[in-house]
Amino acid sequence: MAVTGSSIEEINCLACPSCDLVFDVSKLGEGESARCTRCGHFLTVYREDALHRVMAFTSSALILMVLACSFPFMTFKASGLESVMTLPETALKLWVYDMPGLSLLVAAFIIIIPTLMLFLILFLVSALLLNRNYSWLPRVGRLVYTLESWSMVEVFFIGVLVSLVKIAKMATIVMGISFWAYGAFSILFILAMSGLDRAQCWQRIEALRLSNLDSEKAGSDE
Amino acid sequence: MNSSLTAASRGLASCHLCLKLVSHTLHDCPRCGSAIHLRKENSLQRTLAFLITASILYIPANLLPIMITDQLGRSTESTILGGVVLLIELGSIPIALVIFIASVMIPLAKLLVMFYLCWSVHHGPPEITRQRTVLYRMTEFIGKWSLIDVFVVAILVALIHLSSLLVIRPGIATVAFAGVVITSMLAAESFDPRLMWDQLEAEDE
Repeated sequence: MAVTGSSIEEINCLACPSCDLVFDVSKLGEGESARCTRCGHFLTVYREDALHRVMAFTSSALILMVLACSFPFMTFKASGLESVMTLPETALKLWVYDMPGLSLLVAAFIIIIPTLMLFLILFLVSALLLNRNYSWLPRVGRLVYTLESWSMVEVFFIGVLVSLVKIAKMATIVMGISFWAYGAFSILFILAMSGLDRAQCWQRIEALRLSNLDSEKAGSDE
Repeated sequence: MNSSLTAASRGLASCHLCLKLVSHTLHDCPRCGSAIHLRKENSLQRTLAFLITASILYIPANLLPIMITDQLGRSTESTILGGVVLLIELGSIPIALVIFIASVMIPLAKLLVMFYLCWSVHHGPPEITRQRTVLYRMTEFIGKWSLIDVFVVAILVALIHLSSLLVIRPGIATVAFAGVVITSMLAAESFDPRLMWDQLEAEDE
C-alpha cells in the first residue's frame, strides 16, 4: 500500500527503485510479495523460513561446483577421434589463444564470482541464523549484492545448450558428470539468490545490530 | 495529482544497495555503508558514454571473424552474420532466425532503446512513463543474456580440438562482442529511471 501520511517509521518503508514512491512493507504475511502500484516494480517478498532455504541451496550448490570443476564436462567424438572439455578449460583455452582478458572475464563470470558469492552468502546467513553480530556483516552483504549482477551461471548453461544444438549434427556428444553438476548448480544458485531478498536480508542485518546494541546497553546499565 | 509521495519529495534518499530510506544529506548509508545519492550520479552522461562505446564496439563485433574453423588444413573465418547466411543456405531457417534475433537484433535494439530512454527523460511523452519504465527494466534484464554468443565460442573452442581433422579457434570479434555486452550492461546500470518520474512530477506542478 502506498504511504500517504507524513509521519512514517522509515525503517519499515522502502522507496520503489524505479519511480521513488514510498511504500510501507512491514505488514507482509508469509509468502506475500509487494509490487510498486505506480510502475509495477517488484519490491520485496516475505518468507519466514527464507534463510534456512538459502542455507540449504547455498551449501548444496557449493558441493555441486566442486563436482563441476573436477570431472569432464563434454566429450566430442568424430571419425574415431575424440576431444574432452572440462569447465575451467572454457576459460583457459582462450588464454592459450592469446585472449587473456576474455579468459579472465569468462572465468570470473562462470566460476570465480558465483563461488565467491556462495561463500559470502554462507557466512552471512550463518551469522544471521546464529544471531551473531559480526562487524564484517554489512561489508559482506554489500559485496554479495554488488557481485549479483555479474554472475552469469544461468547464461552460461543456456550457452552450453545452444552449443549442443549447433554441433549435434556434426558429431557424437557425450555429456559428462560435470555437465549435470553444473546444470543442477545453476538452478540451485538461482534459487539461493532469489531466496535472499534484498530488503528482508538487510532488515535482518539491521535488527541483529540493533538488538545487540540494546543488550550491550542493558549490560552496562547493570 | 497524487496523495502518495516520493522519497525525494520528503527529503529522503533510498540507498541503492540495501534500499534503506535515509536523509539525503547523509554521505554514507548507516545500514550498509554505501554512498548515498538522491539519484544516480551523472546518470545521463555516464549512460551515454557507455552507449557510445558500445555502439563503436558493435561495428568490429559484426565485421571481424568471431570463430575460425581449421578443417583438414583449410581455415574458414566466420562472422556472426556469415553464420546466419550459412544456416539459411543449409535450410535451417528457424535456427538462423533465432541466432539472427539473439546475436544481431537484440544487442542493436538494446542500444537503440537505451538511446531513446536517455532522450525521453526530458522530451518523452509523460503519459507513457510507466511503459518506458517497463521498457527499461526489460532492457536491464536482457543485458547479460547477450553474452551467450561469447560463451558458445568459448565452449566450442574448448570442446573441439581434433588435432589435424577439426580445430575451432576464437576470432577477435569475440572480444569486441563481449565489450558490447559489458558496456551496454554498464549503460543500463548507470541509467536512473526515477529521472523520468521526476520529470512527470515537475510537469504536474
